[in-house]
Amino acid sequence: MKIIDVKNLTKTYKKNRGIVNLTFSVEEGEIFGFIGPNGAGKSTTIRTLLNFLYPTSGSATIFGKDIVKQSKEIRQNVGYLPSEVHFYDDMKVIDLLKYSADFYKKFNQKRMKELAERLDLDLHKKIEDLSFGNRKKVGIVQALLHEPKLLILDEPTGGLDPLMQNTFFEILTEEREKGTTIIFSSHILSEVQKMCDRVAIIKEGELVKVETIENLTKNNLKNITITFEQANAIDFDLEGIVKKEINGSEMTLLYSGDIKTLLNQLNTMPVQDLLIEEPSLEEVFIHYYEK
Amino acid sequence: MIFKRELKRNLKSLIIWSVVLSGLILLTLSIYPQFAEQQNEMNKLLESYPEPIKKVFGMNELNLGELMGFYGVEIYMMTTLLGSIYSAILASNILAKEENEKTIEFLLSKPVGRSRIVTEKLLAVFVNILILNVVSTITSIIGFQFADDPDVPTDTFSLLTVATILLHLTFGAIAFMLSSMLKKTRSIMSVSLGIVLAAYFMNVMAGISEDLEVLKYFSPFKYVDAAQIINDNKLEPLYMFIMTAVIFISVITSYMVYRKKDIAV
Repeated sequence: MKIIDVKNLTKTYKKNRGIVNLTFSVEEGEIFGFIGPNGAGKSTTIRTLLNFLYPTSGSATIFGKDIVKQSKEIRQNVGYLPSEVHFYDDMKVIDLLKYSADFYKKFNQKRMKELAERLDLDLHKKIEDLSFGNRKKVGIVQALLHEPKLLILDEPTGGLDPLMQNTFFEILTEEREKGTTIIFSSHILSEVQKMCDRVAIIKEGELVKVETIENLTKNNLKNITITFEQANAIDFDLEGIVKKEINGSEMTLLYSGDIKTLLNQLNTMPVQDLLIEEPSLEEVFIHYYEK
Repeated sequence: MIFKRELKRNLKSLIIWSVVLSGLILLTLSIYPQFAEQQNEMNKLLESYPEPIKKVFGMNELNLGELMGFYGVEIYMMTTLLGSIYSAILASNILAKEENEKTIEFLLSKPVGRSRIVTEKLLAVFVNILILNVVSTITSIIGFQFADDPDVPTDTFSLLTVATILLHLTFGAIAFMLSSMLKKTRSIMSVSLGIVLAAYFMNVMAGISEDLEVLKYFSPFKYVDAAQIINDNKLEPLYMFIMTAVIFISVITSYMVYRKKDIAV
């Protein structure tokens, strides 16, 4: 079933560009990635889904409920981690988590302690005394504590050390196994590649593409590194070359055309060495980021 | 939940204001016995005050030698003005600080409606103002005991108390409404305090000159004028109605604005 269903969602601001005609959906149990350059509209989309912002036009449902009219009911089963966490400074961590849990009318103390221990979070410290990374951990626990059916995470690993990042992804995987749907926005493409099933690419407020990770990386694009004696002396033009770079004796190509045609062409050239690889999501994506 | 937390969070401020106000009240009332004793000397002193000053502070109409009169001139000014300042500061802060300190994203992501947020915070403002007034009223009654004859007409004193509470609520409601509309706490507080002080000075000005008398309609301080209440022993219905209407409209507007607002930090 579609956990999130977005139809032509538009939010326009007076000054900044918002989002325009976004249409996509997220299936139950998916881990859905949301990527795009700064200012593309990722946070705007999330804020509109949570009804912090009112849409200019279009609509969306979460759990089949309208994001504006039934926002409160939706949020009963959503855990949100904002990109910038700000909590009431005068509270202790445990007080904040209890305060948060009170809204959902369920407080699972055992779960709180387990999560805090796994993330190495001191429950009895005052929030104002915590480092940025530790505040992020509070944000993570607060989002997970009430066992929501949908997790919305905005740049979740920012501020976490690599060990914690791994722990975090373990936790997310466990959530997914429980059937939780996760949507997360990120700049860190390696994470997106590792965790997500599908990805939506947003740019300048518009949806560029929604694709499975598999398709994105296997999209016929190959990373080809050819070693010549004198790379810059080689005049190489073939249809399907998306990008060409020369570094000393190496020529690197991003190639989306027919591999046989390329091999035939290379056969006629003074090739010293050849390397053909799958591109990383990063490389595919930079391609979309630019322009 | 939000209500409880706001009470806790604002408790220190409430205590400080209560203590300071009570201190001032007791200090002032402790001087009263001398006033009463030396009434003749006092009256001669008063003769020498310029007319406008006497008019403004109601010294013409109230007898400083009587406890109620003394209260009306000396204490009442403090409770009305300081209490209004307290209400304006409290109300202008309580909603807007969530956006300012960016904690609003956390709160709004919880299954809580905007109306509920407004209601609980409004309630916290109301309760705090009430407590401050209860404290100052009790303190005044204690202070009355300094006098040889501590009897004060209960009905008149009650009217003054009610008027004061209504005044505080009026400024509080206006400040709260402003905070629901604007974003920067600093400017909200400045504007709210400005309104209180402007209203106070308009009241003063209206008293000084006949020509400026029309200003009195713009100042809630005039609506709760001590001399009028004490001497007539009643609250002017029109004024009470205006204040209630202002409170009502401000509250409704706050709800309407906050419910539809785009909130982003």
